[in-house]
Amino acid sequence: MVKVKRKPFEEIVDSISRYERVLNIGCGGCASVCLGGGQREVQILNQELRLYFEKNQITKQIDAYIVERACNKKYFLNLDDVIKNGNYDVIITMCCSAGTQLLAEIYNSIPIFPAVNTIAIGIDRDIGLYEEKCRACGNCIIGYTGGICPITRCAKSLFNGPCGGTNKGMCEINPNIPCAWCEIYKRLKAQNRLEDILKIYPPVDWKNQMPRTIVQYGYEKRYTKK
Amino acid sequence: MTSMDLISKNKSKIKVAMSVCARCGMCAESCFLYVANNKAPEYMPSYKMINSIGYILKKKGKLTKQEKEKIKEIVWDRCVLCTRCYCAFGIDIPWLISLARGFLREQNCFKTFDG
Repeated sequence: MVKVKRKPFEEIVDSISRYERVLNIGCGGCASVCLGGGQREVQILNQELRLYFEKNQITKQIDAYIVERACNKKYFLNLDDVIKNGNYDVIITMCCSAGTQLLAEIYNSIPIFPAVNTIAIGIDRDIGLYEEKCRACGNCIIGYTGGICPITRCAKSLFNGPCGGTNKGMCEINPNIPCAWCEIYKRLKAQNRLEDILKIYPPVDWKNQMPRTIVQYGYEKRYTKK
Repeated sequence: MTSMDLISKNKSKIKVAMSVCARCGMCAESCFLYVANNKAPEYMPSYKMINSIGYILKKKGKLTKQEKEKIKEIVWDRCVLCTRCYCAFGIDIPWLISLARGFLREQNCFKTFDG
């Protein structure tokens, strides 16, 4: 799932310093699961903000609302009414950047600031401990690299083998990190399919640098102009 | 905005869903959690919907702590809002589950993922 982490407190304070009525929107999806922007995290941040502004004798109204999924408008529930009745002049969000951008698109007359940084698509190693595994390059070859993503795990995101800077199996960019291609080699060797490492792939062409629209199989007719 | 505002505003849609549901069970096969849990009936989307938002409406939002915990278990542990469930009668089950979650959230009853 997507992993988020709260921004430094000072950055959040700075983003809302000009405004008086603040709504903090959290998300019941990925942000909740990674303990970065769920209902509890929203409540904690709001309480910290209230204490900070009280201490500095600044009056601010800081409210909270949680949508079940910020990336899908259907699950915003009462948010329209909450925003209309609350007359907020700024929104901060603790959902991922995708959800924040959807909120900004729908509520485009109100400034929206993220209170979290969207870090990665990752796995849960343990409670509170997450590892980045995917950069959504849109060109997944991990079947041929033993399930190890060279884009994410290699410091140089090399697609077709190591750089030659490998030092005793560790990366020359960061000697504390294993060389991804060494790991790929070991994995493929253990599975007795080293020949897969010889497969050459065309350049990724940086597909993930342009915003992509995905139409799932079976839905082409619905979304294609006739 | 109170938790009952959420229910009141959507009361007619919830009532229609509860009366239209024919308990046909077609939604069951569409739920991967139902299939993965040995087809246990408490994982059927219709069961989840009726025993969460349906129950909340029936009790007019006046729930005991135990009842809230029971509904919390249904809407968070037995449903991940994957939206794969389908209904022959067009009932929007995921949306109804999300309403139940929203109701509980307003009462400060929600799942945390570090428990």
